[in-house]
Amino acid sequence: MTADPIPELRRVLCDDNSPDLALRFRALFSLKHLATNGNLDAIKAIAAAFSSKSALLKHELAYCLGQCKNHAAAPFLQDVLKNLAEDNMVRHEAGEALGALVHVDSLPLLRKYLNDPSVEVRETCEIAIAKIEWETSAASKTEDLQSSAFASIDPAPPLAKEADISKLQRKLMDQESSLFERYRAMFRLRDIATPEAIDALATGLEDKSALFRHEIAFVFGQMSDPHSIPALIKAAGNKNEQSMVRHEAVEALGGIADERVDQFLKEYAQDEEVVVRDSAIVALDMAEFERSGAFEYALIPESN
Amino acid sequence: MADNQQDEKLEYNVESQGESGASATFPMQCSALRKNGHVVIKGRPCKIVDMSTSKTGKHGHAKVHLVAIDIFTGKKLEELCPSTHNMDVPNVSRTEYQFSYIEDGFLNLIKPDGSEKSDVRVPEGDVGDRIREYEEAGTDILVTIISAMGEEAAISVKEAPKA
Repeated sequence: MTADPIPELRRVLCDDNSPDLALRFRALFSLKHLATNGNLDAIKAIAAAFSSKSALLKHELAYCLGQCKNHAAAPFLQDVLKNLAEDNMVRHEAGEALGALVHVDSLPLLRKYLNDPSVEVRETCEIAIAKIEWETSAASKTEDLQSSAFASIDPAPPLAKEADISKLQRKLMDQESSLFERYRAMFRLRDIATPEAIDALATGLEDKSALFRHEIAFVFGQMSDPHSIPALIKAAGNKNEQSMVRHEAVEALGGIADERVDQFLKEYAQDEEVVVRDSAIVALDMAEFERSGAFEYALIPESN
Repeated sequence: MADNQQDEKLEYNVESQGESGASATFPMQCSALRKNGHVVIKGRPCKIVDMSTSKTGKHGHAKVHLVAIDIFTGKKLEELCPSTHNMDVPNVSRTEYQFSYIEDGFLNLIKPDGSEKSDVRVPEGDVGDRIREYEEAGTDILVTIISAMGEEAAISVKEAPKA
């Protein structure tokens, strides 16, 4: 008989007085693992932490719920999207998560927020609708996509097996195209993952859409290639850049875990923007984990 | 300086070519590796005997823990690798040769084209013992040679089918 780890993980995750944000993130990813395996109590435990003050944590909750492949998470995400008083970074993540779940019943809600005051939320809903429509279309069954090495459920599928980097770069930055199509080029370039593909992706950090720029930074975090460090430092350290983009660039640097960027992460941990500060704390912990040789980032008690 | 680098590169290329002309290794995403498959760890061609994947963290990152056995020395090696990173996989080939005799601790084998091959040692242990026994008894035998990354070893022996 093994003890149920969820109450303890939930306690750690929901403890807003805890000084250890990085530990709470590790608890979150433990719960995400259990949620992905269909554990409803884990989904509820994640959702319970939406009462937190930390926008960074809350947006990560929404992300994890979107990755858990379980429609039981949808009502919690809908509530976050509907809450106009919530931080827009969190609402964006909730909308994107409903797309990741391919939650068809959420289409009316997503359409409603196509007119949201926040441009990030509007753009997110546009992409999430296109994602759900694509996933439920005949195209999703006939398009010849290369299976991705990345374990995430993405806001858009990669483009079919196009290998021409300059062609993909033009599609990535084609302002006439929908964001969904441009995201498809982005994920195709991520899957190609060469230095040339990284250079092509880096041009996206100059795009006019902050949502788009933040997704480029996320993708760099997934790829964890030191080749993207200069572009990420430029974005993370730019005080005129939106905090959502800076935060994602900071966490990407944490994922790359190159010792040369620790000094930058320590500097970002003192930033005026709370989301950037919090991200740097999590990023330093991620970098330490990557270099430690430890196997598990998630902290499910192994003895249980 | 530039010339030296060029030379080194050429030499490396020559070394990395097996007899078949195929390269010694090819890259494979860590997550695509499988138990009982091959992988290069610390420069050695290995067979994977155990493999586990961690839970995913931020960015969908997971780590893969590999336990493998050096196919030539039998030494156990371990590696921890991000699931999205590339690992080298050795091109491993197995060829059966007709056995002629043992000379100075080396096997004298006959290639399919009739020419001699005498650069593989008699292995230590059971396989080597059995080859010697067969030789003494005058039995016709076939020896299987495994080849990877420019190294070769005899890994099994069996009686030749009666003509």
